[in-house]
Amino acid sequence: MIPARLQWPVGIAVVAVACVLPFVVSGFTTSQILTRAMILGIAAASLIFLASLGGWVSLGQTGLYGVAGFAVGNFVEADGGSKTFGMNIWLATILALLVTVAVGLLIGAIASRSEGIYFLMITLAFGVIIKLLFEKATDLSGFGGINQIVQPEIFGSAQLQPERIYFVCLVVSIAVYLGVRYFARTPFGLAFQGIRDNATRMKALGYNVTLIRTIAFGIGALIAGLAGVLNVWWNTQISPGTIDIGPLIFLLMIAIIGGLYRIEGAWIGALIYVILDNRLRSVELVGERVATALGIIFLLIVLLSPGGVMGIYESISRRVRRPPSGDDAPAGGEGAAAPGVAGD
Amino acid sequence: MSDPSSIGAAPGAAPILRLRGIGRRFGGVHAVRDVDLDVHAGERRAVLGPNGAGKTTLFNVIAGEFPPTAGTVELFGVDVTDKPARARVPLGVTRTYQISRLFGGLSVADNLYVAVIGAEGGHLRPLRLGKDRAFRATAREIGERVGLGPVLDTAVGELSHGEQRQLEIGMALAGEPRLLMLDEPAAGLARAERVKLTEMLLGFDRSITVILIEHDMDVALTVAEHVTMMHDGRVVVEGTPDEIRRNQMVHDLYLGRGHGGDE
Repeated sequence: MIPARLQWPVGIAVVAVACVLPFVVSGFTTSQILTRAMILGIAAASLIFLASLGGWVSLGQTGLYGVAGFAVGNFVEADGGSKTFGMNIWLATILALLVTVAVGLLIGAIASRSEGIYFLMITLAFGVIIKLLFEKATDLSGFGGINQIVQPEIFGSAQLQPERIYFVCLVVSIAVYLGVRYFARTPFGLAFQGIRDNATRMKALGYNVTLIRTIAFGIGALIAGLAGVLNVWWNTQISPGTIDIGPLIFLLMIAIIGGLYRIEGAWIGALIYVILDNRLRSVELVGERVATALGIIFLLIVLLSPGGVMGIYESISRRVRRPPSGDDAPAGGEGAAAPGVAGD
Repeated sequence: MSDPSSIGAAPGAAPILRLRGIGRRFGGVHAVRDVDLDVHAGERRAVLGPNGAGKTTLFNVIAGEFPPTAGTVELFGVDVTDKPARARVPLGVTRTYQISRLFGGLSVADNLYVAVIGAEGGHLRPLRLGKDRAFRATAREIGERVGLGPVLDTAVGELSHGEQRQLEIGMALAGEPRLLMLDEPAAGLARAERVKLTEMLLGFDRSITVILIEHDMDVALTVAEHVTMMHDGRVVVEGTPDEIRRNQMVHDLYLGRGHGGDE
C-alpha cells in the first residue's frame, strides 16, 4: 500500500496525467481507449465496491448498467425505444439513475439474504433476466437497440470533441473513487464491512443486516447506473447485446484483473482490458480470436496473483518494505484475506 | 458472601431475566427443554454443564439468535420471546461467543467502533459527523480497558488468540451492557491469561449483570455467586459455588469421580 502521506501526492499526480493525456494522444485514443476505460472502470468499481466492502461478487452489475442506459434512451428523443417522453437529457438522466437504484434495491432485497456462490447465481439470474427483458420488449429497446440517443449539448459531439465527454467521465470517476473511500470510513460503510466479516455478530450488536445489505446493493446500483448513463452519452446507442453474457463476463474479468479487493483496481483493470481489446486485433496471430487471447492473459494474471494487478503491486511493496522472514502469514482469524479499501 | 442474591438487588425485586418453560428443538433433538431461570440485577451467574448440555443453545435463545420452540423469555420485564437479536440490544443485552466472531478485515479500534455505533444507533449514516469523535474515543477507551491499548490499530486478523478473546469481551462491553453474557471467555487461554481474565470479570461494575458459560472451574466458581448446572438440555442443580463443589451429582456428571471437592 502507498504510505498515508504519499496518497494525496500520488493521487494528484495520477489525475494530472489523466488531464494531460487527451491533449497528447489522438482523438481516437481519447475516445476509444481512455473514455471507454473510464466508463468500464466505473462499472467495475460498482462490482469491486460490493466485493471489497461487502464480500459479494455480483454478476448483476451489467444488468443495472443496462437499466440506466435503456432508461435514458427511452426518456429522451432517440431512434427506437419509447418515443412518448422526449424529456430534457438532464431530467432523463436523474430519472434513469432513480430507476436504476430502485431496481437495485429490489434485487438487493432478494439477494441480500444470500452469500457466496448463491449470491453470485442470484445476481447472474437478474443480469440475464434484465437482458432478456430488453431483448423481448422491443417497445423499450427498439429493434436491434436504441440509436441516436440525444447527448447533453454542452459536451458537444463525442466524435468531434472527444475530450469533453472524457473529462466528464474523469470527474465522475474521481467522485466515485473518493466517494467509495469516504463511505468505507463512515458508520454505514464500517457496518457493511462488519457484515462481510461476521453477519451473526452484527445482528448481536443491534444491526439490521438485511436492510444494510439491501441499501448497500442500491449504492452499488447507483455506481453501475452512472456508468450506464455515461455509456449512452458517449456511445449514443445501446442494445441488448451491450449487457449480454459476454460483456458481463468481461466486466468480472476487469474487476479481477485490477484486483477485487482494491477500488483502484477497477480503472487499472479497465485500462488493461481496453488496451488489450484494441491492440490484440492487429496482432496477426490473434486476429479474430481476441476473446481467447484475453482469456489466456486473464488466466495468467489470476494464476500469478489472486489479488490481480493491485495484488501484485501490494506484494511487491510489502517485500520491499519488509525483508522476507519465515513468518509472513497473519495469525488465524476469519476474513483476514480481505483488507478491503478501509485499512489505510 | 453469605447471601449473594442480595448483592445489587433488593430482595424480592423482579428478575431482569426470566425464562419460563424454555424448550428448543432442532429437528428431533431437544437441545434445551423445560428450563426455568431467574437472574436478578447485579448477579453473577455461571451456567455449567458437560458438552451438549444445551448451554450455548440457551444463550442463543436469551440473546435472540433464534426463538425458543416452547416457553417465554422476559428481559427487564419485557416479553421478548419473538424479538430478533438486534431488538434486544437497546435493552442492554450483549454477548460474546465461544468461537470469536470478530471483523477480521477491520482494525481493533474499528471493531469496537462498530460495536459502539451498534448500541448508539445511526447504523445507516453514510456521513462522518462530529459526534463520531466521541464514539471513536469511547471505542479506544474500551480497547484500553480490555488490555488492547498497544494493538488498537492492528487488523484483527493479525491478533493472537488471547487478544481476540480480549476483544470479544470488549465488543460486548462497548454496547453499554446491563446484561452481559459470556460464552466460555477462557476458552483456549493460557493459565496467566485466565488469571487476568478472572480479575477483569471480578472488576466489572455491579450495574452489569453477568451470565457466564465456562468450562474452567477456577474461573467459573471464583466469579459466580450462583451456579446453574445443566445436563441433557435440563437444569439439574442450582446453588452457590460451595454447594456445587460439594454436590455429588455435579461430580458424577461433570467433574468426574476422580475430582476432589476443593480443587
